[in-house]
Order: sequence, then structure tokens, then C-alpha cells
Amino acid sequence: MPLYESTFITRQDMSRQDITKLADSFIAIIEQGGGKVVKNEYWGLRNFAYRINKSRKGHYTMLAIDAPTAAIKEMERNIGINEDILRSLTVRVETIEEGPSVMMQQARSREEGYGADTDIVTEAEERVEAAAN
Amino acid sequence: MEKSHESNAGAGRKVFFRRKKTCPLSGNNAPKIDYKDVKLLSRFISERGKILPSRITSVSHKKQRVLASAIKRARNIALLPFVTK
Repeated sequence: MPLYESTFITRQDMSRQDITKLADSFIAIIEQGGGKVVKNEYWGLRNFAYRINKSRKGHYTMLAIDAPTAAIKEMERNIGINEDILRSLTVRVETIEEGPSVMMQQARSREEGYGADTDIVTEAEERVEAAAN
Repeated sequence: MEKSHESNAGAGRKVFFRRKKTCPLSGNNAPKIDYKDVKLLSRFISERGKILPSRITSVSHKKQRVLASAIKRARNIALLPFVTK
């Protein structure tokens, strides 16, 4: 079955529970269609690069999906109907990367209070150590 | 050393000598182009939000095509701007 990544943006004033419920409803659609959801990521409330429907922020959710086309179509149809969803993007991917995506890593480093630069420093140090060995 | 460089550049105009840059997105250690990686993509757009030409960023032709589609995807979900004034 082909692999997909589907990202959708929900309205700013939605609660975390509502978003989880919404994501679960899409997961149910996928599973009914004979597919499965490999990854379910919540990126948090992010600022938009431009205004969408007069709002400046939104909740981002991404699903990594392994499902037949019919199930994806059905999910996209439901995304289109739902008024809480401002924008969505579904793309087909060759592989679904292991572990959390870049967005989750960035979100975590923000929460811990580290800048993104510290990650690069530790990465470089690890490489130096590996080279020494 | 410098003299040999000058002769390579031709015409002896050392002002215009430039080191040959390599593609920052090719090779073993290169980062993977992904529409979600805003930090990486924002290195290849101008202040105005336009995609920089590969002659400035020295991205290879193949990677430039992948990069352009990744930037356009990121724009669609408001991770990157279409224009900033």
C-alpha cells in the first residue's frame, strides 16, 4: 500500500481534546478502509507565515499513513467538509522516516528551553567522538 | 599557490577568482530535503520569501527541483510565506 503524510491545521480556539478526537475520527476512517496510521504527531500551536481566514495561528497535526487510495480519498473528503480545519496537505512519500519528525524535535528543544543551536553543537561533538574512535 | 590559481582563472583577474562551491544538499552528510524542515528551507529563500536561484546557493540542478517543490509545499500549509513585505 502506498505511504502518505497528511497534515492538517485546525482553528486556534480548539482544545487539545477536540483535536485528538478529530484525529481519531480520521484514523477510524483509514482503518475502516483497510489501512493503518503509522505515526500521529501533534506539532502544537504554531504561528502562520501569512493569515488564513483572518487567523494568525493554528494547531498542526500530522498523520503518517499506510493505506489504499480509497481510504485516503475518503479522509480527504471528510477534511474538506470539516469547518474546524483551515488547511490541509496530503502528500505521497517514498518512506516514512523513523522516529519523530523535524517538527517534533524542534518543539521539544523549545520546551526544554534550549535553542536549536545547542542541538547542532552536540551533534558536532558526537561526530568528533566517533571520528576519534 | 596563488599564482597557479590566477592562471587557472584565466586573464589573470584575481578579483573575479572564485572557489568552486559544492552543492550543500548533495553528498553523504547532506540534510534531507523535507517540506517540514522550515529551518533548512528558510536558508534557500530570500528576505522577500522568493526561492533563491541555484547560481547563488550553488544547489545542484537535481536538488534544486526537489527543493522548489518542498518550499512550495511548506508555503501551502503556512510554514513559509508566499511574500513578505
